[in-house]
Amino acid sequence: MTTEPPSPGISISKTAEPSTLDVSVGPQHPGSGHCRILIRVDGDYIVSADPDIGYVHRGCEKIAEYRNYVSNIPHLERPNIADAIHLNWGYVLPIEELQGVVVPPRGKYISTIAAEMNRIMSHLYGLAIMQGVFSGHTTIFMWAFGDRDLFIELAEMLTGARLTYSFLVPGGPRRDLPFGFEDRLSRLLDYFEKRLVEYDRIFFSNPSVIARAKGIGVLKREDAKKLGVVGPVLRASGVKYDVRKVEPYGAYADLEFDIPTFEEGDSYSRYLIRFEEMKQSVRIIRQALEKIPKGPIARKAPLVAPEGEATGRVESSRGEITYLVMGDNSDKPSRVKIMNGSFRNLIALPFLVRNVHVADMPIIYGSLDYWPVEADR
Amino acid sequence: MSQVSLSREEAIIGQLKARFPEAIEETKIDRARRVTIHFEKDHVQEIAMFMRDELGFDHVKGVAGVDLPTQKKIEVLYFAGSYSNAEVQDFIVILKAKLPRDNPIIASVVSVWESAHFHERETFEMFGVKFEGHPDLRKLLTLDNWEGPPPMLKDIKFPEMGQR
Amino acid sequence: MSQDTLQDFAGVWIGKMSELVQTIIGSGPIKYIVNWSRMYALWPVHITTACCSAEFGAMMGPRLDPERFGMQAVAGGLRQCDLLIVEGTVTKKMAKRLKIVYEQMPKPRYVIAMGDCACSGGLFHDSYSIVNDVHKLFPIDVYVPGCPPRPEALLSAIVKLREKIRRQEVFA
Ligand code: SF4
Repeated sequence: MTTEPPSPGISISKTAEPSTLDVSVGPQHPGSGHCRILIRVDGDYIVSADPDIGYVHRGCEKIAEYRNYVSNIPHLERPNIADAIHLNWGYVLPIEELQGVVVPPRGKYISTIAAEMNRIMSHLYGLAIMQGVFSGHTTIFMWAFGDRDLFIELAEMLTGARLTYSFLVPGGPRRDLPFGFEDRLSRLLDYFEKRLVEYDRIFFSNPSVIARAKGIGVLKREDAKKLGVVGPVLRASGVKYDVRKVEPYGAYADLEFDIPTFEEGDSYSRYLIRFEEMKQSVRIIRQALEKIPKGPIARKAPLVAPEGEATGRVESSRGEITYLVMGDNSDKPSRVKIMNGSFRNLIALPFLVRNVHVADMPIIYGSLDYWPVEADR
Repeated sequence: MSQVSLSREEAIIGQLKARFPEAIEETKIDRARRVTIHFEKDHVQEIAMFMRDELGFDHVKGVAGVDLPTQKKIEVLYFAGSYSNAEVQDFIVILKAKLPRDNPIIASVVSVWESAHFHERETFEMFGVKFEGHPDLRKLLTLDNWEGPPPMLKDIKFPEMGQR
Repeated sequence: MSQDTLQDFAGVWIGKMSELVQTIIGSGPIKYIVNWSRMYALWPVHITTACCSAEFGAMMGPRLDPERFGMQAVAGGLRQCDLLIVEGTVTKKMAKRLKIVYEQMPKPRYVIAMGDCACSGGLFHDSYSIVNDVHKLFPIDVYVPGCPPRPEALLSAIVKLREKIRRQEVFA
């Protein structure tokens, strides 16, 4: 780390310079919970920050070692409940690779549709809470949450659950598209595209939002590469990297979409990049609904995985998720390792909040779209 | 899958082997875009430096530990990836080093790959692997006064929680 | 009269006064007025313990609109809050803080345990860093099972809690 992090625990008497003060932000604070950030302030400026995470550490990786492959799915998607399908898919891919199961094309298309719907939901959640509430904008919270509920309804129709789908198992998705789903989804997308224009008017072009977020927390391209951040945070700094393009999974190889990037790397461009990604997701779902082939949705997969290890990755809404799954000829994995977007983006937080006003920290934190439960696992 | 040409993977392995003839113990191409390299633990920093400067692997996606109680070893895995080198952007190179289980010590790669900072802290906490030269090796996730053994080791069970 | 006896005298009187006030408030129409106003001022603490918070957010959203029951979306400080919603898993690290948060809240305070995890351990019951018995940390008024519970379930728990408050004694 380039800064010297303060010692753990609150030690106001032990501050390095007489003018500085250590302040503990969290785990109970008006913005969000389950993460404590220990900041050292000098007047109104933050000198250094030390994220103290782990308030939601539930030992997923250890639990995964004594449950079998399929019963691991529910608890491995809990870390990011707003983005459950990507966590699920990332875990299923390496198992399929180990077992040599190939998902039929229709199954791939259904998974892709579900995943992109989930991406929209997750970005709407981020827009509502992480970006809306944190910059004191309540209207966008109400709007985005209202529209998110429409997507949740459709996800419920498809998978049977509002947030925790457990939709993909080794071999393919659990269910086919229900009757009338395509029609409802395309009507919802029509509505949503109109809403996106209004979002732009009320939030992204809002002078007060621009004044608060523009130029705050600039992450330069070289720093972004060096720190190894992922997902929207990386692409907002001008690095064009998306697992959907570099290593296409699901049906992404057949579909056309762009990877939006921005050069500035500030909080405002991190806000905008999610907005652009939602537009791309709409485009992807439209194409997938058009091109979806007929046929079986899933293959039968064994409950046992052979010995060996496989690494699979997907692009979740918070960045690339890499799963390492090791099999040992039994029905339980011998090791599951999760490397997810939030944990990898965490390093950007102490880097970005140095020498900014205390009041800008929520903006930067919100623009990273950090999901503490995912980082803690 | 066997028809896919694996020349890019072989090129990476070839370069590493040519540079570190004695440090690289074993190499394997898992499939297209995945390369596993077993190396001797003392050379971790040189290999990381070479990977970063010559091959363009500028970040790690994660650092993982794997406990192997039967071999009395702990394996440390580095998942290296690249943003800057468009040729190998889609690769994950898994570097593996075996450490003795009773005294796992390895040099830290934070000076080379800054992105390994929190990952090394996590591995230290979960497996007890000491990363020498890490600027700030503290516990990260578990209870602040966690006194028990590193929880991810295979023989650590928590019977009071109903584990078998 | 010496200083001591004066103080004793006053102390007795103040004690009697407060008893008197308690009986007046605790009986009859004033009790209902006090409870009625408490019912409409359930402000939740904003501490999210785990993933159930996503559904808490959905409950706070425009669909269900708990503000019609007097729940303000985000109250500023702990001292203004009287409802603690335990949103999911309580880890050992969080349990300490949660207890501090509970103790800092002014009385009367109410607790809703949301999600299987807060009720009984749930999905992660056998993990090494989980507190399974949240009810041992503080008394819980309403349990909402589900993983995660639907926002409607949480809202119905709040309605239930209001019912409980309506019938309670003022000085419990
Ligand atoms: S009950 Fe389910 S959703 Fe709620 S915190 Fe527990 S695991 Fe998460």
